[in-house]
Amino acid sequence: MPYYDKSEDWLHQSTLLIRARPLTTRITTSYGIKPAHRFTKVEKLAGTATSEGKNADKPPRGKLILKTYDPVSGSCLKYATSKAAEVSRLIQMLGTLARTMAGGPQSEVEQQPAVAAEKDEVMADAPPSGGGVAESSANRSGAGTPVSAAAAAAAAASTGSAGGGGGGKGKKKKGKR
Amino acid sequence: MQPEEFLTKLAELLSTRKTGEHVYLSQKRLTGQNEVPKATEENPFPDLTQSATTPKPIIIRATDGKRKKHITSGGEKIKLSTEVSPDQLEGFYTRYAEVCKANMTTLKPRDRKKGKAKARKKKGGAGQTSMTAIP
Repeated sequence: MPYYDKSEDWLHQSTLLIRARPLTTRITTSYGIKPAHRFTKVEKLAGTATSEGKNADKPPRGKLILKTYDPVSGSCLKYATSKAAEVSRLIQMLGTLARTMAGGPQSEVEQQPAVAAEKDEVMADAPPSGGGVAESSANRSGAGTPVSAAAAAAAAASTGSAGGGGGGKGKKKKGKR
Repeated sequence: MQPEEFLTKLAELLSTRKTGEHVYLSQKRLTGQNEVPKATEENPFPDLTQSATTPKPIIIRATDGKRKKHITSGGEKIKLSTEVSPDQLEGFYTRYAEVCKANMTTLKPRDRKKGKAKARKKKGGAGQTSMTAIP
């Protein structure tokens, strides 16, 4: 369960996950309040667990955790913050992700190239089983022209995804961190 | 529950939280029980081939995460949920953000002085993300 340092990274990775599995992925936001200072057992036993501790003047702190989880692939992406300034930006991110989740024509236009890129990435990381063979054979036949190169890439991507590319997404993320 | 009613109740739920209590919000695409096909070797992304292309509403839930023990001892678990259709998402999330911002009061307020000092220190590598973008 990686926590991302930047909300942008979380948004980017979550978008990719939702595009791959729009039906099963869910986003959970948890908002919790913790006391500013927790008394230790020693303090409680000694009877010093009063409200006049070192953090007595501090108000309790809230925390916001965003979690994108897909039960099918088991991918879980998290981001945590305690800054009030980020809240509205984060909720807007949730809105963007919700639109991706809902699917439909407006997101489909941007979806297609992104999915292709994703598949290319997976193939590059995966062991050279199906995809590698397809690529090398395509390279032999296509004499380096851009059009045939693109076709080769597409063919390689399709074979790569067919050859058990399903688990590749989660693996890729771990490798990138 | 209608989105309007949901937001009003959510505001109430968020603002009455005490120390040690939580609120859980979740959002997912509204799907029937047997709608999601299983992934197979030949088709590792069934989501992308089947009904994923038709717009579906998003279901948004909110709960205070209280357990059974609490309920049996006389308490009540608060559970809210609403469905938002794809064309209303934009407006709903604007309101949703307002409600959350106004009621999540225990988060750290922006400290302007400190921020400025940090920005001066960190000059240069501030705008970079920790990961490389996917080409």
